[in-house]
Amino acid sequence: MRPDHNPTIGRVVATEAMPSGTHQFQFWTATDTDLGIGAIVRVNDDSGRIVYAVVTDGRSYSDLATPLHDVVAAEGDPAAKRGPTRRTEVRLWTGAVLRQEPEEPLQPVPLAAVSLATKEDVEFALRMDSYVRSETAGGIPIGIYTGGGMSAPVYLDADFLLGPESAHLNISGVSGLATKTSAVEFFLTSMFQTFPAHKGSIAAVCINVKGPDLCFLDQPGELTDVDREMYGQLGIDPRPFEHVCYHAPFKADGVNLNTLRSHHELAKSVQPLVWGLREVLDYHEVLLNRDDIDAKSDAFIDFLTDRVVEKDFTDEWGTTHRVCTFSDLERLFRSIFEGLEATGRSDMWRTHHIATIRKVRNRLLNISTRCKGLVTDDGSVSDLPFGSFEDRSVHVVDVAGMDQLAQDLVFTRVVSKLREHLERRDLGVECVIVFVDELNKYAPGDGPDTYVRKMLLDISERGRYLGLVLFGAQQFRSQVHRRVVGNAGTTLYGRMDMDELATPGYQVLSPATKIKLATLPKGELMIRHPHFTQPVFVRFPRPPILPGPVGVQKFPPAKEVDFEDAVVMQLSTLDRRILPGRVKELIVGHRDDAVRRALLATRRAQPDDALAFFEAALGTPVAREQVTGSVGKTTRLKQVEDPYAS
Amino acid sequence: MVTRSAGHRIRDAILAANGKVGGSSVLTHVPQPLTRPFGSAEQLEHECVEAVAVGEPKASPRGTGFLDGIQRYSVVGRFGLVPVVRGYVAAAVLGRRNENLCVRHQVSEEFVATSIGRLSGEQLRELENTRLPLYDSGGDDREHPILDMHLAARVVEDRRERAEQRVILSYLRDRPEGWLVVDGSIAPYLAEDGASRILGLIKSHETQFLEGEDLRTAMTLPVGHRSSVFARRTNGRDKAYTWYLRLWPWDDRGLLHGLVRLELAPVDEAVVQASEISAWMLSERSPLSAPDSRWDRLIYPMRQVESYLRAQVGEWL
Repeated sequence: MRPDHNPTIGRVVATEAMPSGTHQFQFWTATDTDLGIGAIVRVNDDSGRIVYAVVTDGRSYSDLATPLHDVVAAEGDPAAKRGPTRRTEVRLWTGAVLRQEPEEPLQPVPLAAVSLATKEDVEFALRMDSYVRSETAGGIPIGIYTGGGMSAPVYLDADFLLGPESAHLNISGVSGLATKTSAVEFFLTSMFQTFPAHKGSIAAVCINVKGPDLCFLDQPGELTDVDREMYGQLGIDPRPFEHVCYHAPFKADGVNLNTLRSHHELAKSVQPLVWGLREVLDYHEVLLNRDDIDAKSDAFIDFLTDRVVEKDFTDEWGTTHRVCTFSDLERLFRSIFEGLEATGRSDMWRTHHIATIRKVRNRLLNISTRCKGLVTDDGSVSDLPFGSFEDRSVHVVDVAGMDQLAQDLVFTRVVSKLREHLERRDLGVECVIVFVDELNKYAPGDGPDTYVRKMLLDISERGRYLGLVLFGAQQFRSQVHRRVVGNAGTTLYGRMDMDELATPGYQVLSPATKIKLATLPKGELMIRHPHFTQPVFVRFPRPPILPGPVGVQKFPPAKEVDFEDAVVMQLSTLDRRILPGRVKELIVGHRDDAVRRALLATRRAQPDDALAFFEAALGTPVAREQVTGSVGKTTRLKQVEDPYAS
Repeated sequence: MVTRSAGHRIRDAILAANGKVGGSSVLTHVPQPLTRPFGSAEQLEHECVEAVAVGEPKASPRGTGFLDGIQRYSVVGRFGLVPVVRGYVAAAVLGRRNENLCVRHQVSEEFVATSIGRLSGEQLRELENTRLPLYDSGGDDREHPILDMHLAARVVEDRRERAEQRVILSYLRDRPEGWLVVDGSIAPYLAEDGASRILGLIKSHETQFLEGEDLRTAMTLPVGHRSSVFARRTNGRDKAYTWYLRLWPWDDRGLLHGLVRLELAPVDEAVVQASEISAWMLSERSPLSAPDSRWDRLIYPMRQVESYLRAQVGEWL
């Protein structure tokens, strides 16, 4: 029993036409009340029953029977002086029940006095007492509920956010106003600081698909006194993330990083994301669409994967291949074509038709062109530290500057690798949160059934058992596959578009709640969580990190420079003492891909003496052979029309 | 040739003879006989009754209260033919605070009314055990079911008037300044201290104090006009000063539409104050008290007193 409550502000009313139910009731208040949509109230019945509810609708009307009576009273003049008396007016509110005490038997809400909820009432009404105050407490602060001059922290249950009970978080809202990214940044801060150690270790992987939003997670941002007060109330230290690692592919030149976080002061924390043939071949389904891949092509790619790649493979003409890069693969293809041409045997090679081989060759070799910067053909690989993820670490994979195909590849491979390691329990952490914006692009409600969507569906439905948790954001929830959003245990809503609110997914919300959502100011969210029987509105502080646009002004991206200068610049970020002239001397005579490989190795190792390491990795330059005129005998290839050439 | 309806032909005839068309809606019942159709008047302001323009509506002074009372009764049972009536009366004064009406004073009473003289000792004891006030409705030895009900109703009415009187006295005592507008005549309160601050608002015109051209002038007042102030006898000795006021245009609606009579205690200032007080009442036309059928004469605060008292009645509703 919770006897202490605020002063009475209203009274429950019920009529035959508008009865008081077990889930909803009406009450009236004075016209000058502080009450509003989203406020939490408490009904105090003399019998001992207490009902907690959230206000979902409000109406006001007077005893005016028809507007015509007002016209008559004003004698048809809207500007006529108003009478000395105000009409009797009522503020009638609708409350949606959050919790009843006692919970059984469940009964209609009694016709009793209504008061604003106290801080303790809010905790009890939202059932937070079961996970905030228990021995195995796992409450994660999500924001502050405010109502009637009172504020109270609101917590989410870690077990229902990261599994195993339920998992995943989805946030919707219009761009620019809904503060989706800010909300996720704040919430990750909150989670990293408050997630109890006894529940395991966590890390986050954020896929940055646009702009600089996630590029400065380790830099402190400006906060107002109000923000600091909110942090204090929530028990969170407003500081940026301590363990952040950035991963970005190169630009097409292979040395300049394709990220907005390329300022020389920050570049050291950005690791190149570089993949080779093996990394790509495992996810060829992402890169090759349904029209590209038929059974025959699929079979040939499987053959390459199983029998050829990274193995010693001897062809029918006696040449032994070891295919580790796209260049090696190209050599193999050439060997096959030339061998078939020279022997004139047939159009088949190891049961694969030459047209199928040509098709696969075109598609695979095109990948290195379409994903240039990410995919290299020199065999060097730089990846996320799968297997050595640290507790409370954030890995930002910046693919904002890449085209859609490359973004799909990165997303798919990163998530698949996370899943593989989590299944084997060797990721380094027990739970990893993957944050993806623009979920409507990756898991649309309609359109083709892509590999990316299938993977997201799989995470949504089974990820919680593995510790793979999806934090998804999108403008329009209705455009995301309903099984993806439906499996999100916790849903946040920022400011919403009215057209979006008119879609069937929002029918459960009252018109007043929809209006509030459509006009929600920055820094406010509506939350649905398994413990909350009704949506709850909360405010949250600005994240304690540098906002993307401000960060770009403070740390302008480095200008794109030529190859030699880019090498110098990158080595300088590792060791400021390095002299540019010395680096340029070292790379003279070396092939570009050799320099890239050495640079990548140096960055990955981050040695004390970066220049020495680089020099060692570079090795001795190989003299280039000057070719003059035609050498040897040229073989004319058989003219076969390639219908798949692009 | 088109034959005009009887109604049109009658209207044509009225207009042709300089009459004025317009009146009531269709009626079916013959009204009850008037108990006191005529009274006498003594001109105070003018020799003959004149129509005086009141001027712009003006809000009544701060602190003005509005009084009304209600009564409810029902026959709960009978001892033989003697009805046992349960009665409820209430009265309240509402005043304005920031343009909102709120309760200043109120009283209510629930009681039993019956012909005590016809009850046995045991019957009387049982009624007394109800711990409700018991009032005698009287009656002759000869029983008459309808007459007995009329007598019980008289008791209820009397209790209501007393309740109103109590509220008025409380109000006048607690508030040395400020007007009190009461529903009906001020005659019952003329003897009270502070009676000069009571304004009676009479909506029914059963008793006519004027006659001839004076009556015609009063009954055909244009909107926003009042009649000259005149005195009327309230009983054998006392007088009240009174005048008519037209709140709403009566064209096409009947003579009494929007016509009220205001009453003051017989003080010298009454004649001087008549126009100003009338302007107060004109300002009370808004908000309209519709959908009450008496909206043309019932001012909104009075209706709200009624609404408030009715809401208080609870199970009697």
